[in-house]
Amino acid sequence: MGGGNIKLESLIKRFDDFTAVDDISVEIRAGEFFSLLGPSGCGKTTTLRMVAGFEPPTSGEILLDGVDVGNWPPHRRNVNTVFQSYALFPFLTVAENVAFGMKYKSVPKSERDDRVAEALGLVQLTGYEHRRPNQLSGGQQQRVALARALVLRPSVLLLDEPLGALDAKLRRALQVELGALQKQVGITFLYVTHDQEEALTMSDRLAVMNHGRIIQLGTPEEVYNEPVDAYVADFLGVSNLMDARVESGGNGQRPCRLRLGDFCLEAQTGQLDAAGAVKLAIRPERIHLHPYETSGDNLVPGMVERLVFLGSTTHVYVRLASGSALQTLVRNDGAALPYSQGTPVSVGLPADSLRVLPDPGVSVAEIHEKTTGDQVLDVTSTTPS
Amino acid sequence: MASTVDKPVAARSGVDKLAWRGRPRGNPWRRPWLMEGFTWLYIAWSIVPIAIAVLFSFNKGASQATWQGFSTKWYVGSQVTSVLHNPSLHQAVIQTLVLAVLTTLICVPIGVGFAIGIDRWRSRTSTGLNFVMIFSFVVPELLLAVALFLLVTQALTFIRLGTSAEVAGLVVWNISWPAIIVRARLITIGNTYEEAAADLGASRIGAIRRVLLPLLMPAIFASAVLVFASTVDDFVIVEQLSSTAATQPMSVLIYANVHGGLSGPALNALATIMLVISVAAALIGYAGYRWMTRGEGTSKRGTEALTGITGI
Repeated sequence: MGGGNIKLESLIKRFDDFTAVDDISVEIRAGEFFSLLGPSGCGKTTTLRMVAGFEPPTSGEILLDGVDVGNWPPHRRNVNTVFQSYALFPFLTVAENVAFGMKYKSVPKSERDDRVAEALGLVQLTGYEHRRPNQLSGGQQQRVALARALVLRPSVLLLDEPLGALDAKLRRALQVELGALQKQVGITFLYVTHDQEEALTMSDRLAVMNHGRIIQLGTPEEVYNEPVDAYVADFLGVSNLMDARVESGGNGQRPCRLRLGDFCLEAQTGQLDAAGAVKLAIRPERIHLHPYETSGDNLVPGMVERLVFLGSTTHVYVRLASGSALQTLVRNDGAALPYSQGTPVSVGLPADSLRVLPDPGVSVAEIHEKTTGDQVLDVTSTTPS
Repeated sequence: MASTVDKPVAARSGVDKLAWRGRPRGNPWRRPWLMEGFTWLYIAWSIVPIAIAVLFSFNKGASQATWQGFSTKWYVGSQVTSVLHNPSLHQAVIQTLVLAVLTTLICVPIGVGFAIGIDRWRSRTSTGLNFVMIFSFVVPELLLAVALFLLVTQALTFIRLGTSAEVAGLVVWNISWPAIIVRARLITIGNTYEEAAADLGASRIGAIRRVLLPLLMPAIFASAVLVFASTVDDFVIVEQLSSTAATQPMSVLIYANVHGGLSGPALNALATIMLVISVAAALIGYAGYRWMTRGEGTSKRGTEALTGITGI
């Protein structure tokens, strides 16, 4: 055990004429929970498979604790993988599955049973030793797959969408468990997912990927609060994107002044010195709704289009007079909402929450399509509270 | 009708036409008599002759056409012409079983290796070898049999006509079964299990031995049964490659005696034994495949077992 530092240097993977991973360089610290996040086809799984040893890199280096393992076969690397399909051996019992790899790690026979018991205890499956994988639920199979990898005490654990096949409630319970487990065993987790909620709740740091490249790297807070571009803003959580024009650029002291349709706004975060066409982003929870014709800065008139009651909150969809559609959150505090479909309101977009992002040259709808292309839009899970 | 007067005539006729087209003629859920009838005709056509042949193996008299009462004399009773007591008849049964067992034992391991090689080691060679896999479906059996006969009598004379030549021919002829069935299963199970094994520390060979082979067991078993049954039924190859009466299996003996010689219900008895061995092998295969894949939890295992056994 020990170690677990992964360094990817200029990693490239091409399949015939398709570049799956396009020059990735990143260092993952020992003991870190690191996520690769992106839509399907963004290169995250290929990156993971190269670290595991299932695909040789076209060029670049994979340094595992300082040693380039890029061309080592998988069985010689001190990393273990939890597969999306679990890949439990159906003809072996749970205990035999977990013990499978110990034969190769020269673990003394006398110690193997203890290690199996310990690993199954870790994933709370004590007592299931003699079951077959097909007698377990999806969540239990997932735990066996985890135990089978952890029992070998690898320096790095690779997880390829491990919760992808589970239902939403179980997935959320396992997210919390997986995070706690990682802190307990202290080894590096490299986690691949297309689910932004998973990446945000569990990771120490995460990399948002698209088209084989890393777009943004940072802590969940950084990536959520300070997205570098409209793509990241839209991919992580619900982001309201608006097309705007810069009237006068700002800097650290001075806010950026923008024009949104016929209205003037000030923004204090993001790329304040931008000019021309930009995208404006704001998170639903930062938007305030006021009675119609309230006066003040950064207020834009709008009209309620739709209300979606979600229990703890209500999503209020508002159409601004400038034409942009926004989604806001209203906490359920017991009082009846003073809005219904068609209610005119004043929408407060606080300057410290408005983020100026470079214009990628495509419409808001196109960005949205790209970031949600392979996901079912699930309004209940897209906004972490 | 009074109410139709105020509607435009054109519109009304259009509606009527639509309604007429949409109306089902007769009961769509009625029994499909025609299809059912043909199915039963087909079944009768294929089974009745066999049933009659089996029936006359139990004939008391020596006729294959006139029923003279039930008896098992052609199996065990008669000291001269029963399968049990006539040396050439029971030698044929033994020879058939020897050939079937030997062919299965040699053919299946080679076929499995063949399938794994083609599927997991991708190259130009393996693509070319794909053709060899469907060899026996393309080449006429008689052609192969004659060619093999020439080969072992003219060139490879160290292979003697008789059991060794018969086994060699049957192995070549039947190699497609394990190759195709095992390959189909290889495609179904995919690469993930082997990757998981490699990830846990197993080498390439280790992964094949500890993970792939157990997963392939149902297919291996099914193809073994199929090779066995197909060898029992084989006639063309063994007819060419057998030498003396001692190396004639059942099929060759029946053919040789059907117009004279050892005719009579004893031949029916021999054919019935052949039939029973083949059917038993298929049933064992079906049940075994289902039992071995019981942990896989798909509802279509019955069909899968059937296709596994028949190789389709």
